[in-house]
This record gives sequence, structure tokens and C-alpha cells, in this order.
Amino acid sequence: MKQESVIRFVGSAGDGLVSLGLLFSKILKKHNFNVLGFRSYQSVIRGGYNSYQIRYSQDEVLTPGENANIIVLLNKHVAKIHKPLVNIGAMVIYDNESIDLKEFEYPEEIIDLGMPLGSITKEISKLRVLKNIVGFGAISYLLGLDDELIKEVIVEQFGSKGEKVIESNFQALEKGLEYAEEKGWLAIWEKHKYEKAQQMVIGGNEALALGMLSAGLKFYSGYPMTPATSLVHYLTKHLPKLGMIVKQTEDEIAAVGMAVGAAFCGARSATGTSGGGFALMTEIIGMAAIEEIPLVVINSQRAGPSTGMATKTEQADLFQVYGASQGEFPKVIIAPGTIQDAFDTGIEALEIAEKFQVVVIVLMDLYLSEQIATIRKLDMKRKNPRFQILDKPPDDFKRYSLDTETGVTSRTVPGTKNGMFFTGSSERNEEGTSLASTLAGLPETLPIREAMMEKRMRKLDYIIKEFKVPTLEGSKDSEITLVSWGSTKNIVKEAMMKLEEDGVKTNHLHIKYVSPFHSEEIEEILKDAKKTLIIEQNFTGQMHDFIRMKTGVNIGHKLLRYDGEPIIPSQIVAKVKEVIKE
Amino acid sequence: MSDSFNYKIKDYESNFRPTFCPGCGNFSQYRAIRQALVDLEIPPEEVVLVSGIGCASHMPNFVNVYGLQTVHGRGIPVATGIRLANPKLTVLVYAGDGDVYGIGGNHFLHSCRRNVDIITIVSNNFVYGLTTGQASATTPVGTLTRTTPRGSIENPINPVAVALSAGATFVGRGFSGDLKHLTWLLKEAIDHRGFAYVDVFSPCITFNRNQTFDYFRDKVYKVEESGHDKEDFHSALELANQLVVKDKLPIGIFYQIEHKTTYEERDFALNQGIIPAHSPLELTDEQIEVITKEFY
Repeated sequence: MKQESVIRFVGSAGDGLVSLGLLFSKILKKHNFNVLGFRSYQSVIRGGYNSYQIRYSQDEVLTPGENANIIVLLNKHVAKIHKPLVNIGAMVIYDNESIDLKEFEYPEEIIDLGMPLGSITKEISKLRVLKNIVGFGAISYLLGLDDELIKEVIVEQFGSKGEKVIESNFQALEKGLEYAEEKGWLAIWEKHKYEKAQQMVIGGNEALALGMLSAGLKFYSGYPMTPATSLVHYLTKHLPKLGMIVKQTEDEIAAVGMAVGAAFCGARSATGTSGGGFALMTEIIGMAAIEEIPLVVINSQRAGPSTGMATKTEQADLFQVYGASQGEFPKVIIAPGTIQDAFDTGIEALEIAEKFQVVVIVLMDLYLSEQIATIRKLDMKRKNPRFQILDKPPDDFKRYSLDTETGVTSRTVPGTKNGMFFTGSSERNEEGTSLASTLAGLPETLPIREAMMEKRMRKLDYIIKEFKVPTLEGSKDSEITLVSWGSTKNIVKEAMMKLEEDGVKTNHLHIKYVSPFHSEEIEEILKDAKKTLIIEQNFTGQMHDFIRMKTGVNIGHKLLRYDGEPIIPSQIVAKVKEVIKE
Repeated sequence: MSDSFNYKIKDYESNFRPTFCPGCGNFSQYRAIRQALVDLEIPPEEVVLVSGIGCASHMPNFVNVYGLQTVHGRGIPVATGIRLANPKLTVLVYAGDGDVYGIGGNHFLHSCRRNVDIITIVSNNFVYGLTTGQASATTPVGTLTRTTPRGSIENPINPVAVALSAGATFVGRGFSGDLKHLTWLLKEAIDHRGFAYVDVFSPCITFNRNQTFDYFRDKVYKVEESGHDKEDFHSALELANQLVVKDKLPIGIFYQIEHKTTYEERDFALNQGIIPAHSPLELTDEQIEVITKEFY
């Protein structure tokens, strides 16, 4: 039988849920399982009600899952709140010395696995956190995990804290195992041997960061904002080894400004934020665009408007980024769909930015940024060619020469002899001189303005050639075509598999490249579809409207979720069945 | 360097003559900046002149170095990024009082404490010139402008005092009417190790009838000639307050200390001599191991 389970840890901020989730994911990864984890949390630092859900399987894991097989309650406060979310048949593990499930009227049909975690832990050490490891012991019994592999992970994680810590963790693990065994708990799976794991466990933001690093990221500036903050945390941690600059700034305007300055010097540069910070960056994004300075800006979306729901996910910044900054300029927007895709996008974004001297916006969201999953080992060894940078400019060097097919002209960076030029946020002539101050109003400037606009906008025709053309996944004669973009890719994929089991044939168009947009190809796909349903994490159906604007095609049905939680496959299944019945 | 340095002041001129109003205080700064670079033997390709928006911010159009005009108020962060990516460069910010003290005030404050080795020169004319004469952050109370037709009711900022209290390690003030002194002052600022800030009294001959060349000539005196100790923070603050409490206007170096380490000296990459803009784009096996270890 295929081994697969969903485990949910429920606790408060301060209970160490994030490290618990990561540790448990690593343990499962060690057993060569595929894992996907996602946390649900509040914007509080201590207390409150948070959960971390992990799903693992021998097959590919596409979503964190819906109902949990095992629920671990970490304190009394959350035990009470979580009751409505405890499904029938779930195994509930908790400290029965501090929590009484009867008090909260938990249903009879759960498997009550209360254990005296406090007393067991006290026998070993005064450290209360060891409670979690005792719990791990009991869970590993239920899941038939290999305690030797768990110990390997414990050594890897806590090795630096000394032998005493390792020893007490080992003891805690064994005590948990013994307790479950003595009580005669019914294990879901028998203990057996596992193959050696080769995978990584990584979050969306970290994968994006690794992509950018392997593409030669040399400068990153940012101002803390959920859910983009972990980018700067991760990069800062490894700073001494990377030989790059990571800068926390006074605000997002300075963050994007510094990144532009560094990029002007030839350093591959990026900045990251969420919608609110992105709003502040908007003016300088337009500046980088007209100055043709390569720049990557990451917007990890969260629920808006304004502060909205800071710790919840949404895909509602599409029009914000598409319309960001006044005037018209070639803007690239990429919305990766999975963690692996986030890595690939990190590389692609920096390369496209430099090759075409444009601003590339990477549109993430909280669901993708903060989800963790196993992926195959990333290939980070790359050759990174430089694009369009002159070491020895010719005598007649013109930074913004109009003699270019693709719209791209070679640049020099400060320090290069005879390469000096002026650039500014105003429209300019081929040398860079401002048409606004020096040359404004002169009749000969009108065609220059036209030619400069055409030069910049022409880049889009060549950028789109670099992008993979979107295709339809699944059989062409399906009853319905599902459309999604960005982080919901695999949620839709899982829903399609469920629908197939139920005898409903679907196919799937996923959109990663928002700008430039494959209008013709997408129109072609959607025109031929029998029925169409778009799935989005927002109120208005922004991609629905975007596709209509770009192709004239009106997608017939919408499934929109805007309560801050990720869409779940069963929602899609139900909606599809409803639509095909019509 | 001096053997091979044969640039003349003309080599720092672009193909465009300044478009400032005839008689504008910015002309002498145009001259002083170029003269300082020649005197210090800094070749044009190693200089980046960054500006914002406003009359003064047109300056990089006219100077033959690497020039970058940003949007309004954002010269300082862009210049900071340039300097951090390549600390071999001499990076100057040149903008007006509206730009640096008004819309860009936040960056001004943080650049003072950050101590990145850039030079910020503020052409202070006490008015918004390019938008045709509105009150700025330095406009004195009671001044009639197009946005204060009944007299300004806001107190002006004292930028020199702000810079001092925010931790700037070089704080100076010059006067467009004294080119020799201004050139000397800019040379000292460029030579300074750490963040250098120079406010320049620079009359706007079109929109300001109060802070004129004559007004300043009557009031300015050089602190170098008055026995001021530039390492004494408290007397520097006292001098800064003279604009407010006494009718005398000191110019010169108010404050300079070199014992504070710069941002570059404290930064992990830069203090190893790494130049991010030039360092290899490929990761080494060792780097890959270190940065991915936590994911296994």
C-alpha cells in the first residue's frame, strides 16, 4: 500500500512550530518520502493560534492536504480552538496532564492518543522543548519510521549544541516510542527499511534565492515585510561566504534605489517586498526602466488591501504590478508555480534583466514563499555569461544608440575608461542627454522621443521568444479546461487527479509568464475549450480579466477564494462538477 | 597616480553647457566640483555624479563623468548602492534643498548614521526653483512664496544640526559666492573617509529676493578663521544654531572626525576587498555546499 499521511501540529507562536515543521519534514525526507509543508499563522510573536501541516508520500506531493490523519495539540488554548477542524477518525496526540479533550467535547470518533508528555519529559531533563521530541517518538511509532534515521537528523540539527543535548533528545525519542509501544497503539505502518534520500527540503523564498545566487546575484536590498522577509534572512545568513552585499534599508524606496545603483555598476541586483512595499518602489521601477538598468523586483503577495491580512495568502497584486509606475515601458512579470519553478525563475529573472536591460518582476505569494517541500537536488553550478557590457567602448560609443534591432544597446559601467555617459529619469537622445532640460521643445526631439519609445518597447518582441510557450496539460477533448496562474499550479493538478478518479476528464492551462504575454497561443487554447474555469486567489478574478483584455476570450466560470487560505483541491473538484452539470 | 594623470578641467565638461539661469549660484558649484576632481587627480571614469530632481539636479548633464539623475529625492540611496557595489569609485550626490531635505529627508538622515563613503552636496537656495518658486524645507518663517502668499507658517529645518545629530562624520557649509573656499571645502569633503555632507548657500536669482548674494556676503564668515575646533561636536552644534539664533552665518568645516569606521570597513564583503560589481558570477563548490547545507 502506498504510504502517505497528513500530520498537523497545532500550537501558539512561541511553541516552535516552524522549527518543528522543518525538523519533521527533514525526518520524513531522510526516509526518502516526498514532503510538502505549510503553516497557518497570525501576526503575533507570542501566543495565539497557529498550525503547521505536513503531508508526505512515496508519490509526488502536490498540496499540504486537507484532513489530517494525525493531529498534535501543543497546548490547551489551541486544543479548544481547533476542535471544529478535527476530522472523524483522526489520531489526536496531546499532553493529557494539561489538556482534557472531554472538557472541549471532542467527538467520540477520534482516536484519542493522550500521553503524559510532561511527566515523561521531566524524567529526562528540565528542558520543556523536549516534549516535542517525545511526541516525535510516538508519531514515528505510528508511522513505522526508522529511529536510526531520526537520530541522524537530530545529530545534524543539534550536533553543534553538544553531546548532552543530543543524548537527551535521543532519550526523549526513545521514551516516546516506548510509551506508544507499551500502550499498544495501533501503528498505521510497520517499521521497515527505507532507501537513501537524495532530495532537499526547501522553502519557496529560499529556492528563489538559490536560483538568483546561482545566476550571479551580487546585491540584494530589502526592508522587512512578510512574506518576503525570509529572502533577506537567508541571504544575510550566508553573507560572509558569498562575497556579496545584502542591505537592510530605511524603507522600500531606498531598497529599490540601492539595487538600481548597484546594477548601474554592473552588479546583478535584486530587491524584494510585498504589495505595500512594492507600492513604494513603484516610482523607481519606472526610473530603472527608462534608464535601461537591469533590475529584479520580487513581490510576494499577501492578502490586501493595505495591511490586509499580513500572514495570509492572496493573488491580488496582478494589476498593481502590471500597472506599476507611470508611462509605458517594457515590463517583464513572471509568476512561478512551484518551489522548483521559483528556483528556475530566480535564474531566468536575473538573466533576462541583464540581457535586455529591463525590470523583471517576480510575482510570488505567501503560499509559495512560505511553503516547504522536497525537491530533487538543485543544479547550482552554472556558467553565467555577461550580456552587453563593454570593457573597451569604441570612440563613437553612444549608450542609447538607436542602431539596434532588439532595442538593446551595449552599456559601460563606472570605472570603464572612455565609457562615461549621462543617464537620467527623463527622455533622452542617443548620448543620454535629457530631452526635458537641455533639448526640450526643439523640433528635432520629437522623432527622437518616438524612436526611443520604439527602441525600448521592441525588447518585448524578443523577450517573449525566451519564454516557454504555455501548453495544455491533459487530454484535448476534456469536458472542461482549468486555468490558473502562479502558485496554485499544483493544487489544480491534484484536483485534476481526483476528478479523473471520479471519471471527469479535465485539462489545464497554467500561466507563468504574465508579461510579455503569449496572447495568440492562449487565445488559441481557450477558443477550442468546451468549458472554461479560472481558479484564482482573489475577489475579482484579475487573471480572468487580464486574459480577456489580452485575448478577447471570456473565461466562462470563476472559482475565487479570498479568505486568506490557499484553495484546496476538493473546492476545485466540487466547482468543476457543478460547472459541467450546467 | 600623479604621473599618469593629465586631465584638465575641460575634460570634465560634457557637450552641453549648463542651463541654469544666468547668475545662478549653481554655476560656481559646477566649477568647484570639476576643480576639486582635477586637484585631487580623480579621473572622470572613476567618478559617479548622482542627482535627484530640481534645478540643481540637472548638474550631471553638464559634467563629463558617469552621471545618473534619479527621481525626486532618491539620489542618496542610488549613490549608496553604487558605492557599495564598487567602493573604488568616488560617488557624489548633488541636489537641492527640496530634494534632499524635503522629499528625500529620510535618506539624508540614514546616510548620516550609515557612514558610507559618499559625498552629498546640497545646493540650498531656500526655495523650489524648477517648479517656479514654492516654499521649501529651509524657507524661513514669514517668507512669501507662491504656496505661502501670506507668509510661510512653518519653521525651517536646520539641516546642519540634523546631520550632526544623525551622526555624519563630515559636516560642512559653503557659499556659492566664494568659489575658492567652496572648492577647498569640496576637496576636503571628497578626501574625507566616511559620509561627507556639504550644504551650500546658493542664491536663486529668479525666485528668491531674500537670500541673495548680497545677503550672504554680509553675513558669512569662515569658521577656519575663528579658531573653531572641527573635532568638537558641541561647538559644531553651536555653530549650526547660529543660523537660528544669531545673525551670523558660519561657513567651512563644522565637524570632521576620522576615527569612526566607515560602512565599507564594517561590511563583511567589502572589508575583504571584494568588489561586488566585479566579482565572479559563478558559485564555487565550497559556496554551494555552505549555502545549501541546511536544506539536506
